[in-house]
Amino acid sequence: MKMAVETATGTGTLPQIKGVKEVPYDELFVSGHRTCQGCESALVMRHMVKAAGPRTIVLGSTGCMYVANTTYYSTPWVVPWMHTQLGASGSAALGTAAGLKVLMRKGKLKDEKINVIAFCGDGGGADMGIGAISAALTHKEYDLLVLLYDNESYANTDIQLSSQTPWGAVTTFSPTGSERRIMHTRWKKNVPGMLAAGHPESRYIAAGCAAYAVDLMNKIRKALEVGGPTFVHTLDPCPKGWDYHPQYSQELGHLAVEAGIWPLYEVLDGVVNLTGPTRQIAEGRKKRKPVEEYLRRQGRFAHFTKEDVEHFQAEVDKMWEEWLIPGVIPFTIPQKDVTLLNIDKKKPLHATA
Amino acid sequence: MTQATATRPTSLKATDITIEVVYRGIFQKTLAQRITRGVVLAARQRGLPGTAFSRYGDSPERNGVPAKQFAVVAVNDIELEASMARYEPAIVDVTVAVDDTLVKGVESWAWYGRQPIWKPVRANGVVLVTSDKSPDEILAQTDKTDRPYTLGVIPGEASFAGLWVYKDDHTDWRVLGALSKVLPDWLPLDEVKAQVRTQTKDENAVASVQYGHDATTFRPVKAGEGTDAHEKLAFTKPGWTTMRTGVIVDARKPGERNPQFKRYATRTQRPVVNFDTCIKCTMCWLDCPDECFEVTGSGHFEVVYEACVGCGICAQVCPVKDCIVMVDELKFDSNKTVFPEWEKDRNTYNAWFEKTSGRSAAPPKGEKAAVAVGGDE
Repeated sequence: MKMAVETATGTGTLPQIKGVKEVPYDELFVSGHRTCQGCESALVMRHMVKAAGPRTIVLGSTGCMYVANTTYYSTPWVVPWMHTQLGASGSAALGTAAGLKVLMRKGKLKDEKINVIAFCGDGGGADMGIGAISAALTHKEYDLLVLLYDNESYANTDIQLSSQTPWGAVTTFSPTGSERRIMHTRWKKNVPGMLAAGHPESRYIAAGCAAYAVDLMNKIRKALEVGGPTFVHTLDPCPKGWDYHPQYSQELGHLAVEAGIWPLYEVLDGVVNLTGPTRQIAEGRKKRKPVEEYLRRQGRFAHFTKEDVEHFQAEVDKMWEEWLIPGVIPFTIPQKDVTLLNIDKKKPLHATA
Repeated sequence: MTQATATRPTSLKATDITIEVVYRGIFQKTLAQRITRGVVLAARQRGLPGTAFSRYGDSPERNGVPAKQFAVVAVNDIELEASMARYEPAIVDVTVAVDDTLVKGVESWAWYGRQPIWKPVRANGVVLVTSDKSPDEILAQTDKTDRPYTLGVIPGEASFAGLWVYKDDHTDWRVLGALSKVLPDWLPLDEVKAQVRTQTKDENAVASVQYGHDATTFRPVKAGEGTDAHEKLAFTKPGWTTMRTGVIVDARKPGERNPQFKRYATRTQRPVVNFDTCIKCTMCWLDCPDECFEVTGSGHFEVVYEACVGCGICAQVCPVKDCIVMVDELKFDSNKTVFPEWEKDRNTYNAWFEKTSGRSAAPPKGEKAAVAVGGDE
């Protein structure tokens, strides 16, 4: 019997990049954008289209990468780019992928593979757009990639708190004061883990960082290659909101990963694969750096006391020592139930007729 | 409030005065706020109404991108309101540049073009610059003027701080002192000092006001003085009747850079490259968020200075010591690429590199030679 819903197939034409020397020179996102000095998110945009290649449509929801890149009537994009509303990256990606498919079926467009990438910031994606992204990730008949560039605040509107702002960080919504030192008391939402756990029909979900450029480009390529609805989340050091000198953007990206705060991984067809230094940490080949090295370089944590740093460290330790899948999936199983994890898969658990 | 009952001066010739502070976005946002608010608070000492505001078009600010804030003080509320009925003051009495590299030009957004620092200053107005250089050195990098003005240099290096942590190096108080020198009718020194004393209860801050007043050096600038070296960059904005349906804009062609927005006015420092010690590892090119490196036939990476914003990431990620050095932007008067000079004559180029950067052009000695990295994994 033919399945009612066909499954998208992806490109199969984007090979993995084996090292920096293999990164393509062609720029599809060029100079002349009004981003901050040392903007890591601009670097994510550049790597994103570099990896995807020229046959790509990019959709951008409101945020820094919309406003800064389309300064009054001018653009740095070589590929077609369209603005979409805050929170609409999932639906815009889905609509565009569906539209392309119909146009090709009717013969109005040449039948070829066109990548559809919709990007959103942490405000537009992890806060406002999470519903639409979740919906898009269930439509396995369409090839689309949602890229969430996460600079841990509403940076475009001058740094308001988002669900991706780390615990204790200063934003305009969480200033530090003499009465209350810590205004932001919620832990960062685990977006890639949540989306991977909850969307069995999305074949590929990954967490990356532009400080590991080749790793990130390969994740973008893999997402487009396997096809269907896919998702990549990047952590982007932001000199404006994190308050550090722009020259240290790469260094902070490295530190976030090396301190275990931002694990690099991918989930392909339900199989977790840790990448880069995160894998080395998990395999015990590399020690996690203390989070203090990361925190003390940023003005947004300048008010942290020793206790605050210890709290932050303890929460990160938990990610590694207690989570079901370290750094990825946060459940724990009580000792008495550990045997539940070793279910005999050959023995059917359901009643047989 | 005792201030409100103070007598209004009758000696003022104008009905209002506008002071503009040009600054590096985010880094100096708080500094600019403190200066413009300081002006308004000082004027309040004698009952003059005033207001401090930032240019709407600069929001959202970006690190390093030139931005503006204004202080308007008037003889009465009506004059203040009249002077505020403007989106952006087109004519100002005093421009304060709190970073000296801003004198090379101000490009805030696409289509503004690069504007001379004195552009909104009225004839015989004042341009104040915080700098450790002399007025002549500053003027040598300032665009040729079409009207006379006075250039004042407030001694001190540019004060850069971030968004959350204010670097209190008294630049704000020194600037207020200098303003009291150039606008004695509007901001008498004693009243500025009284205001700062009330506000800070810190005699060091008051002393900094006095220092700014006394130590600022002035130089009259005649029409026609200044440099022609900087590129003219001006655009015509399309009006709403000429915009295309759906506000469609043509995409950039492959290999092209955005010609309407060049970004180099964002730079306070520029990377200078020692091509002899370069190991062609690609890291500078790979990690540049502004795509400003161009690969050469020989596999080197040259900087396109029209596109470089001077963030310093390339110098930071370069694995070879002193191969990429960040140098004060005021040392240069051209955006021309320097790679052809190196190709033509390495010795002359290396001598220039050493003179400009203050670092040796010879390969690092006694250290393990840097090896090409196979990736950043």
